[in-house]
Amino acid sequence: MRGRPHPTLRDAAVLLGLAVYALPFIWQVLTSLKPEAELMRLPPLLPSRLSWEHYQVVLERSLMLRALLNSLGVGLLTTGLALALGLAAAYGFARFPVPGKGPLLLAIVAGTAFPQIATVSPLYLLMRALGLRDTWLGLILANTSFALPLVVWLLAGFIRDLPVALEEAAAVDGAGRLQTFQWVVLPLVAPGLASAALLTFLFSWNEFLFAYTFTATEASRTAPVALALFPGVFEVPWGDIAAASILASLPPIAVVVGLQRFLVRGLVAGALRE
Amino acid sequence: MSLRAAPRTGLLLVAPALLLLAAVTAYPALWVLWLSLQRRVPIFGIAEFEGAGNYLFLAGDPRFWSATRITLAFTVISVLLELVAGLLVALALAGQRRGRRLALSLLLLAWALPGVVTAKLFEWLYNPAAGLVNYLLLGAQINWLGDPALALPGLIVADVWRTMPLVALLCYARLLTIPAEIYEAARVDGAGDLAAFLRITLPLCRSILLIALLFRTLDALRAFDLMFILTGGGPAGTTETLTVYAYRSLFQTLHLGLGSAIAVVVFGLVMLVAWGYLRALRREGLTA
Amino acid sequence: MTRAILAVCLAGALALAGCADSPPRDGGGGPVTVVFKHAKLLGPVDPLAPLLVEFAALHPEIRVRAEALPWSSDEQRQFLVINLEGGNPGFDVMMLDCIWVPEFARAGWLLDLTPSLPPGELAAHFPSAAEAARYRGRDWALPWMMNVGLLYYRADLLARHGLRPPETYDELVAAIRRIRAAEGNPRLEGYLWQGKQYEGLVVNVLEGLWAAGTRVLGDDGRVFPDPERAEAVLRFLRGLITEGLSPPWTTAADEEITRRAFGQGEAIFLRSWPYAADLFELPDSPVRGKVGLAPLPRHATGTAGAGSTGGAHLGVARGTRHPEAAITLARFLTSERAQRVMAESGAVKPTRPALYHDPALVRAFPSLPRIHDLTLAGRPRPVTPAYVILSTTLQPELSAALVGVKTPAETVAQSRRRLEFLLEGLGG
Repeated sequence: MRGRPHPTLRDAAVLLGLAVYALPFIWQVLTSLKPEAELMRLPPLLPSRLSWEHYQVVLERSLMLRALLNSLGVGLLTTGLALALGLAAAYGFARFPVPGKGPLLLAIVAGTAFPQIATVSPLYLLMRALGLRDTWLGLILANTSFALPLVVWLLAGFIRDLPVALEEAAAVDGAGRLQTFQWVVLPLVAPGLASAALLTFLFSWNEFLFAYTFTATEASRTAPVALALFPGVFEVPWGDIAAASILASLPPIAVVVGLQRFLVRGLVAGALRE
Repeated sequence: MSLRAAPRTGLLLVAPALLLLAAVTAYPALWVLWLSLQRRVPIFGIAEFEGAGNYLFLAGDPRFWSATRITLAFTVISVLLELVAGLLVALALAGQRRGRRLALSLLLLAWALPGVVTAKLFEWLYNPAAGLVNYLLLGAQINWLGDPALALPGLIVADVWRTMPLVALLCYARLLTIPAEIYEAARVDGAGDLAAFLRITLPLCRSILLIALLFRTLDALRAFDLMFILTGGGPAGTTETLTVYAYRSLFQTLHLGLGSAIAVVVFGLVMLVAWGYLRALRREGLTA
Repeated sequence: MTRAILAVCLAGALALAGCADSPPRDGGGGPVTVVFKHAKLLGPVDPLAPLLVEFAALHPEIRVRAEALPWSSDEQRQFLVINLEGGNPGFDVMMLDCIWVPEFARAGWLLDLTPSLPPGELAAHFPSAAEAARYRGRDWALPWMMNVGLLYYRADLLARHGLRPPETYDELVAAIRRIRAAEGNPRLEGYLWQGKQYEGLVVNVLEGLWAAGTRVLGDDGRVFPDPERAEAVLRFLRGLITEGLSPPWTTAADEEITRRAFGQGEAIFLRSWPYAADLFELPDSPVRGKVGLAPLPRHATGTAGAGSTGGAHLGVARGTRHPEAAITLARFLTSERAQRVMAESGAVKPTRPALYHDPALVRAFPSLPRIHDLTLAGRPRPVTPAYVILSTTLQPELSAALVGVKTPAETVAQSRRRLEFLLEGLGG
């Protein structure tokens, strides 16, 4: 082809372009490090010195630390619950003649399309009745209601794609159901599980509607809600909010950037089913 | 032990998930329909059946129709922009030789953030006095989020920013599966870049684009956190989507019946779109 | 690999589950803990901290845990509602905007204070504050802080052009035009008021309606009983913006934004609450000594302008485990002694008329007697459990009228339709 740009230059240009795309986030990081007096004046764009005052305020004087802990706990437990139930169900659907399998699976897949706004008011009444408002358990159940259908769908597809021959060979070798599952199926499904875990944790951490409605105090309030309710007295404390935003973003960024390849695999597997 | 499948074991494996989903997903989905037929105001202790009263009110309610228009406009424009931008970025990424991981990380940053963080990000960027946007526009004093004509575009930009990476990722994964030989063969035949794009890339990406279209449309219809935090539905209701209107009716006015009716409309809209797409995808032979 | 992930998840989750316990409840014997939820008080000095120390000394058997509510009024209410609705709110004493009291009482969330209050306790407060605390003949809250809408004006500018404080809005408009023409300062704004989409907007519009001789709820419960006058008021407010008498950012303005602008000397008139008066007299204030207070003007069709009264009350949650301790705290904080301390800190006005003529306080805040008279002449917003529904429904409609997205006629008609649907059968 004529006029192809030099590959390394092209690569660098793409990287630069993507860095510009991430500018809003980078700007927020800069804001969080700007001394208070320099916040409301532009220029200069860059802070004259790095100031940790905003992070100090957030960590010492706001309830953000507790909120981060809540998010972590709810996220991990939701992931655990969704994976455990989802894997069992997926294996059941994929390998066993469950009566009504077709309609059930269809119903579960339809469940991934439900809007949260539709179930939030009945769930609110349910939480109230069961005394689960402002508890971790309430949030975990609510989050799982949306994570589980996705996990089942993802994993059912994964398992279905695994050739049955491997499990049959194990059976011929005298392995029981449980052993076959543990030593043959599980290792093969591991990448799918990783993807499902990643997506579930991400969804749970970033979830806002349920967390905003079902939590009341710092006992269960998650990071996004704490950020939304960030206290300011007269004016909006942009620097503190920026610091709180960065803190609330670090775990999901770490998970997504660190486990990139599972993300690609998971999304693609779900999307390019059959 | 043979591998003959025992139905009972199957049921045992499937039951816990089904029971949980029945309790927290299926039951509430039916309950909200029932709530929508009631006049229910907890503060006043009112809980009475009133049939289609809420829906009749919505049918003549200008705020409801405005919210519907805004929801549809937001969805259509956002999704269109995401698809186009996502495909272009995926093309750029697929041709990347070095630094792919870094590129993907930079891209996925926007997608990984909680919606509230994105909202705060853009609220700060759009700040009339100290925001980066006005600064880059050479000191313009535009009040992005306070101007009825500008708030919705501002919201759409924020939404496209955070969701485009997903579309790009899906297209990128698809592009990776296209063997390079096809492009080489095309080049040998003298096809230019544009022709290769139109004749090879687009058709092969069609299925993934349709799937991305489905996911993204459903997500855009259901979106809540971004508009709720960024603009709260204002100014003057110009960014109030159906989800925000439903939430305000539910938890601000505490009219659970009316709020549920609006939520049911969103529900219906989403399921309609999902059903429509799935039929189209089935025709393409993409789903079982 | 999978096992590792699952193991980490489980381990992490179990470890964190241990942190999920709610705060331990104190058992019998020993000091009781009363949780007091309040919003941060505006003002240079925080009067609450020393008051709570004093309370602790007086009542060693009661430990008070004071916790802040979210900043915005809407969020405060949402927080209180979501918690009180659930049954066990986790707090005992709460600060309430006076407009929430009938609603919370109707919902059964407040402890009936009538048996615990000596007769005449509420009579020591302003009548409109006491009225807001009463619902169906019982007392549900104690008045804590008082507010009234009033007009601030630049006495120096008016004096320079031989003008008195305006009694009608026509006079106000004329004064603005005359002063601006003479001063020739393009940055001098005319009339600042709160037009952002929030409760403050409803307050401003209500004051406009009263100034025109009409109101928002008729005696029969009809919404906008005189729609033409209501439309005229909205037209006037919108006109202030389109004709440049009020700045374009009025539609996004709240108390603080307008207070700061006026305090920088950038406007002739300001509609706000008493808290601003002391801030304008601070040593480094550009408008020190130049600000006068007046009642709000009236429209030609009205008889007198009245400011909206407001403020905060203290209520006790019905589900409290320590009713006596909670009531003791509430009565202490609303006592004359505590309200005096709070008044001394500035920015908070007491609900007890007697304090407005206290010599020491008047020396420190000379505008107090004036504010007292204005408060007596003020009117409360509709005292009904449905007020919040009314207000939250009106806010977007009124904002649409101000911004020009809807005509005043459309606003009034659509507000009526919606409110009639929402308020039907809710009674009082």
